[in-house]
Amino acid sequence: MRDHSHQYERVRASYNSRILPMLPSRARWLGCALLLIGQLCFASDWHSPAAQLAGKISAATGPGVIALEINNRSSISAADVEQIRGFFISELATGGVRVWQPDQAAAVAKVTLSENLNSYIWIAEVQQGTGEPKIAMISMDRPPSSLSAQNAPLLTLHATQLISQSQPILDLAVLEGNPRRAVVLSGSAVSVFDFKDGHWLQTQSLPIAHATSFPRDIRGRLVLRKDHLFDAYLPGVICHSSEAGSLSLNCSRSDDPWPLAIAEFGVSGFFAPARNFFTGVLTPGIGKQRSAPAFYSAAAIPKDKYVLWIFGGVDGQVHLLDGINQQTSSRLRWGSDIAGIRAACRPEWLVLATAQGDEEDSIQAFEIPDREPVAASQKLPIHGRVTALWTQQNGKAATAVYRNADTGNYEALQLTLVCGQ
Amino acid sequence: MRRFNLLLFVASSVIWSVAANAATRPHYGGTVRVAMHETPQSLDPLSLAQVGVPNISRFLFDTLVVLDDRGFAQPALATTWQAEPGNQRWRLTLRSGVSFNDGANLEPTAVAASLRAANPDWKVLPVSDMIIVQTGEPHPNLPAELALPRNGIVHGNPQVSGTGPFAVSQYVAGKHLSLVANDQYWGGRPFVDSMEIDFGQTGRDQMTSLDLGRIDLAEVAPENIRRARAEGHTVQSSSPAELMALAFAMPPRNDEEIHLRNALALSIDMPAINNVVLQGGGEATGALLPNWLSGYGFLFARVQNTEFARTERTLGKQSGPLVLAYDSQDLVARTVAERVMLNARDAGITVQLTTNGHGDMALTRVPLPSLNTQTALTGVALALQLPMPSFGNGSANDLYSAEKTLLQSHRVIPLVYLRSGVALQPGIRNFNMSPDGAWQMSNVWLGSDKP
Repeated sequence: MRDHSHQYERVRASYNSRILPMLPSRARWLGCALLLIGQLCFASDWHSPAAQLAGKISAATGPGVIALEINNRSSISAADVEQIRGFFISELATGGVRVWQPDQAAAVAKVTLSENLNSYIWIAEVQQGTGEPKIAMISMDRPPSSLSAQNAPLLTLHATQLISQSQPILDLAVLEGNPRRAVVLSGSAVSVFDFKDGHWLQTQSLPIAHATSFPRDIRGRLVLRKDHLFDAYLPGVICHSSEAGSLSLNCSRSDDPWPLAIAEFGVSGFFAPARNFFTGVLTPGIGKQRSAPAFYSAAAIPKDKYVLWIFGGVDGQVHLLDGINQQTSSRLRWGSDIAGIRAACRPEWLVLATAQGDEEDSIQAFEIPDREPVAASQKLPIHGRVTALWTQQNGKAATAVYRNADTGNYEALQLTLVCGQ
Repeated sequence: MRRFNLLLFVASSVIWSVAANAATRPHYGGTVRVAMHETPQSLDPLSLAQVGVPNISRFLFDTLVVLDDRGFAQPALATTWQAEPGNQRWRLTLRSGVSFNDGANLEPTAVAASLRAANPDWKVLPVSDMIIVQTGEPHPNLPAELALPRNGIVHGNPQVSGTGPFAVSQYVAGKHLSLVANDQYWGGRPFVDSMEIDFGQTGRDQMTSLDLGRIDLAEVAPENIRRARAEGHTVQSSSPAELMALAFAMPPRNDEEIHLRNALALSIDMPAINNVVLQGGGEATGALLPNWLSGYGFLFARVQNTEFARTERTLGKQSGPLVLAYDSQDLVARTVAERVMLNARDAGITVQLTTNGHGDMALTRVPLPSLNTQTALTGVALALQLPMPSFGNGSANDLYSAEKTLLQSHRVIPLVYLRSGVALQPGIRNFNMSPDGAWQMSNVWLGSDKP
């Protein structure tokens, strides 16, 4: 028999639990309270199916005394099994069936909590006398799973959960205002969400029309504009928003370069329309340098007299360009995705870089005092693989998207740096 | 002290940044070299499904619908579908802008022709950007059926072309297949540029080729999965998804024959066969569907009971030996058949083995046809020549009743569900197997540590 009790501890845990340890202590207590409430709510979900199956058992046995045996072949935790047992006993009593010792029982109900790919299957084998047992079963939807609770250490890199959806999120921009608004770019649409009553609610979805297929591991970038709301860059396609009347989207085939880092730096890179990387051709270039090795991502670090550009190369190396010299750091084992970010208490920009653990990615902030990155935060574990990391428009935050290893959903995080912790 | 801690933290962080593996994005390019045991003589979805290489079919051909890892239907060449009341008539809207690898556009007429060829009993009509599928009987699970590899959409005759992630560049029937990535694939071009597939390779040859760096991906038989892992290979395995069963050629003619078959079933020590012969590469079963798919399979669990078997044997009548046929090319089948013969003898039943294909019963392997329970049970029944199951309203209870009815026909004795395994070179990234053993190659890419 499989023992999934540990797995189910993961199932039951709070969705935002990974973020909790990074919150101030009061917020953590609040989070714990919400977690507890969530667990109680979830636990109460067992009551209805228990009542349903108990009804079938009592219909089979009639009023009297039975023995009840519960076996767990599912991912339901041992603690929940005990709660379910309680529900069964009380519901059977409602039907006039009392649960007692086997040697004094007229029938034995053997209940197995089982599951298949997408459902819980609860089965009762009711044995009365020596005949064939009567079989009764019910099924109910089973959630794919959810995040695990972890006690992560204190961090200076803060993550705030934004949007979660099954479609890949390529980029997300937050528009501060009332209500707070988020624009989410996926491969098929740009969706607008409003933050109301503590939740992000989708208010609009604008489909992206494109004639050719997008490449695998599709990338995309949202850039907020002053004369219109945003531009969306996708491989071989650009979409401009328009607000004449209602918000709409005009998409067309385009090989226009994508702005790198934030628009203020004024450097754009050409994206390979049938691949998942930038070709390396830059416009207008960095000082005298017009190109870099093909790269996945870029971060800009303004220095006194120049801007140091850092590229996460397709060759797996980190390339640094300062307008004159190009330096390659083969020693760094950063991931493909990097992004620049500012911290209020530091004069210089920092770099967020991904890295891969055994089962989870992580993100960490680095300072670049000279050419050697120095870790400036502890690593932030991400419960899944990071699929996007972009600097947000003001540079004070970055958007990270990861694919949740449990649910398969794409989760967008807003990352900010807080010093002094 | 605080300063020291800070220094320690910075130092450890720098070391960490050097030592950790990078979370790299997938790389485009390269060739994946694969070896397979089967020897497909034709490259159309029906033939490939018949010879048990649906993975090749998935490389070349798309279906209208696909099932995800939880068995739910997801859009593929059809973007939406809807049944009319009664579930006999389904409307499916086709994805636009898709081309076959021969350059022809995906048109409703081509889709209709393809489905009609694979399902002569269906009426399939092209209408505007849709097709209408009409079946003789209510078919509530039509989307799951359309997801079967045998229903891959083809164009052209006799040389067929598909819309899949790869296209054929060279094919020597039964020996070798060269595939190139479909740059225009609607689901995104695969990361690798090409695949080279050698057919007819034994398991031992495949592992030797893998060890010598000649191939990147080798099939691993269920009985070798444990050993391959112990030898340090990177092995992925499916859920137990291939049924090995004793299938009787004829239904029982009388109660005595039923008792004899019951006696045979009770005599077999399947856990021992799984642990010893199959090296734990499967799960003993008394059910037609694996428990991970049905959730109730354990209800059919059968425990060896030689004493009961002997009692049943006395109620049964055996006029001559029960002839058990097995595939002479299948060494594991031979060992299992021998074990069955020995177990049966302990219960007083005489079993005789044959490899000539004709017997009272055959040791049969049936790959799990689908991740949809009803479609899977129907497919297993079809493969074992059992009566077609009926499912009522489709509840778990109805499915259980349908499977119980099939088992009570006494036409089959389920023995074990087997896993399938694949050994990979370390540089192969993102290779995934579905629970049923299907290979997901479109997302595979080659890391820099590929030999």
